[in-house]
Amino acid sequence: MPAAVALLAPSTLVLVLFVLYPLGKAVVLGQQRCNVQGRNCVSNGWDQYVDTFMSAEFQHALWVTVKFALITVPLGLVFGVGLAVLADKHLRGISVFRAIFSSTVATSVAVSSLMWLFLLQPEVGALSNVGWLSDLFPVVKSPGLLRDPGTALTSVAMSSVWASLGFTFILVTAGLQGIPAELYEAAAIDGATGTRRFRHVTLPMLGPTLLFVLIVLTTRAFQTYGEIDLLTSGGPKPHDSTMTLTYLTYGQESIIRGNAGLQAATAVLLFVVLLGLSLLQLRGIGKRVHYGGK
Amino acid sequence: MNRRFAFTMLAGVLVAASCSSSDSILESGNETPTTAASPTTVAASPGTDDTDAPPSSDATTIAPTTSTTPPPDPGLCPVDALENADGPVEVLFWHGLNGATNDGIEYLAAEYNASQSKVKVRLEPQGSYDSTIDKYVQTSQASRPDLVMFPEYMVQQTVDSDSVIPIQSCIEAAGFDTSAFRQATLKAYATAGVQWAMPFNVSNPVLYFNRRMFEKAGLDPDAPPQSLQELREYSQAIVDSGAASYGIAIDSGTDSGGGWFLEQWFANAGELYADNDNGRTAPATKVLYDGPVGVELLTFLQQMVQDGLAYYVGGNATGQDNFLKLADQTAPAAMTIGTSAAMGTVFDALDGGLIPGITNEDVGIGPLPGPSGTPTALVGGAALYVVADHGDETTAAAWDFITYLVSAQSQSEWAVQTGYVPIRADALSLEPVASTYTDDPRFRVAYDQLIGSPDEPALQGPILGPQREVRVVTALAVADIFEGGDVQTALTDAAARANALIADYNAYN
Repeated sequence: MPAAVALLAPSTLVLVLFVLYPLGKAVVLGQQRCNVQGRNCVSNGWDQYVDTFMSAEFQHALWVTVKFALITVPLGLVFGVGLAVLADKHLRGISVFRAIFSSTVATSVAVSSLMWLFLLQPEVGALSNVGWLSDLFPVVKSPGLLRDPGTALTSVAMSSVWASLGFTFILVTAGLQGIPAELYEAAAIDGATGTRRFRHVTLPMLGPTLLFVLIVLTTRAFQTYGEIDLLTSGGPKPHDSTMTLTYLTYGQESIIRGNAGLQAATAVLLFVVLLGLSLLQLRGIGKRVHYGGK
Repeated sequence: MNRRFAFTMLAGVLVAASCSSSDSILESGNETPTTAASPTTVAASPGTDDTDAPPSSDATTIAPTTSTTPPPDPGLCPVDALENADGPVEVLFWHGLNGATNDGIEYLAAEYNASQSKVKVRLEPQGSYDSTIDKYVQTSQASRPDLVMFPEYMVQQTVDSDSVIPIQSCIEAAGFDTSAFRQATLKAYATAGVQWAMPFNVSNPVLYFNRRMFEKAGLDPDAPPQSLQELREYSQAIVDSGAASYGIAIDSGTDSGGGWFLEQWFANAGELYADNDNGRTAPATKVLYDGPVGVELLTFLQQMVQDGLAYYVGGNATGQDNFLKLADQTAPAAMTIGTSAAMGTVFDALDGGLIPGITNEDVGIGPLPGPSGTPTALVGGAALYVVADHGDETTAAAWDFITYLVSAQSQSEWAVQTGYVPIRADALSLEPVASTYTDDPRFRVAYDQLIGSPDEPALQGPILGPQREVRVVTALAVADIFEGGDVQTALTDAAARANALIADYNAYN
């Protein structure tokens, strides 16, 4: 027993110091109002959480965030699985493609966002100034995909999907390689076509991987900040079309950016929403996932 | 937790999310709206859980909340302490400069370090003003830099932070002569009679325009528009002649068209932006921009957009979208408004051949066209604050570096490298700025409109506690107006939100 305690102590200490303590502080801060320094805080009552949750700004940001997740998570899954299945072949040079497909994992959010900015910036952007494209879709040139309230969120979501593709690709590729070849052989002998083999062998066997990717992609979608900050700053104004919860909490164009108490409240509420969502995914889908074995 | 419970929970979240009747987040937790909250009831119990706040310096006792504040104690700033130091004293300096302006400060700091052996300045660039502020606020007093640069919209917050030594203490302790200074630059960083910071990098908005497009439209590139009416006439001529698709590119960025320029235009019209003399005699309690002057100004700009004379580039998230509209290959604008501090970076980019078809010489600089037709400017840019409680020697060393940065010679070099305005008259006779101002009058425009500004409260500009957030609110209104929203409604709503922000700020500071 003492040995166990000693062995657990280092990670417990790190967890308590860098996760639990700050979390506790944030929860307390979320019901306070502070001065400009974030100091001399006085309690404003726990109903500050309720009010914050019900406020127009939070509700709008929550809805934007949900929309963002609804775009990025399914697309990220479909593209990631699609690419992984395509690259799961024993061909000459396939590793080159695997390297290309997984390369976005080594690209920082800042770099990938700036790349998309160079493509989409309406005045000088590479994509925005392709003549036939802007003739076909005038919005690309004026006001620009990132400036039109109707397309801004989707455009940011695309850059996010692209940036997280490498991560999904690597995980799904690993999952695919864990599926025993006998299963495919047995299915083929039973006369299953490629589509049926994918539906009845590949997908069920990928279950645990997909569940993991689903939860991580959802969490990432809810925590997206860099793309928003660099591409739209929560705009286009006045619609705040990309004002996500994280941008409302940390962003420079947020109305509460100088208010530590309210910032903590929105951050804690984001935590609660994410916790609920993850539990939901685990309970709701987790039971249907086939973990193999006996 | 079973699945049914989980789904119930999700349903609850979604139902809550669909509720539309909700208040502003600023009112969260308040029994009554903030606008009605009494500052005294909240401020009555401060500091109870203040565990990591540093012991405040004596500066706390002189926080000016009324116009009868006693002058700061020169003893706060022991300028002679450097003489007793053994070995070089290090001064850590946080600034928010980038591009050509970052090169400029690195050059000056290196020159200073090489020129003497008592002080060694270490620069830590923070990338932007906002990053500097955010990091400063989140850092304990001991871990803060010894010297920090804050932009003009941070005066009230820095005063309320009780974390800096009013520079007036140093000026008085050292007997430092400020008579050669442009007094407006000093006044911009003073409130209630106390000088809080030393102006250093002073800029103001100017008109950038394409000289060749002016010529094509039959306009004189050496006589750019000075009034808003002229701006419209010039834009009309440019569009009619086909010299460019639009007259001017405008934006709704917080530190440009959506906030800072509004403050400049109000000053130009001789109008106060906030009460209590723009917050200079006592902390402001409300904004005044929703009156006839604001409505007239924004209706005029809205009309320019609707008539196709101005192109609205949005919230300018990159800070360069308005400039890039001038470089647009298919539908360019001929003019835009930007800070004079961007001149160095713009000219560097053009010299580097980054923009096809436009050279450095093609760019003209004119004064900011304003309601009055006579160019004026508020002091923009940033100033230097000495951080308190960092030891006598460090304070003295920081002060020594400040005196170097604001010396006539440094200001002369700085102005040429960056496009910032020299803060003192005697810098103008020194090289390199002397010949630059003669050879390239573009650099002189920002200086001239600053010294042409009358000395009155409206032209000292507003200082508001939550000035950053107020600019966010006005930027939303401006964006709404540029997209065709009702001007009076937008401004009234924005003023109400700004006043709520100010009341909230005043209640806790």
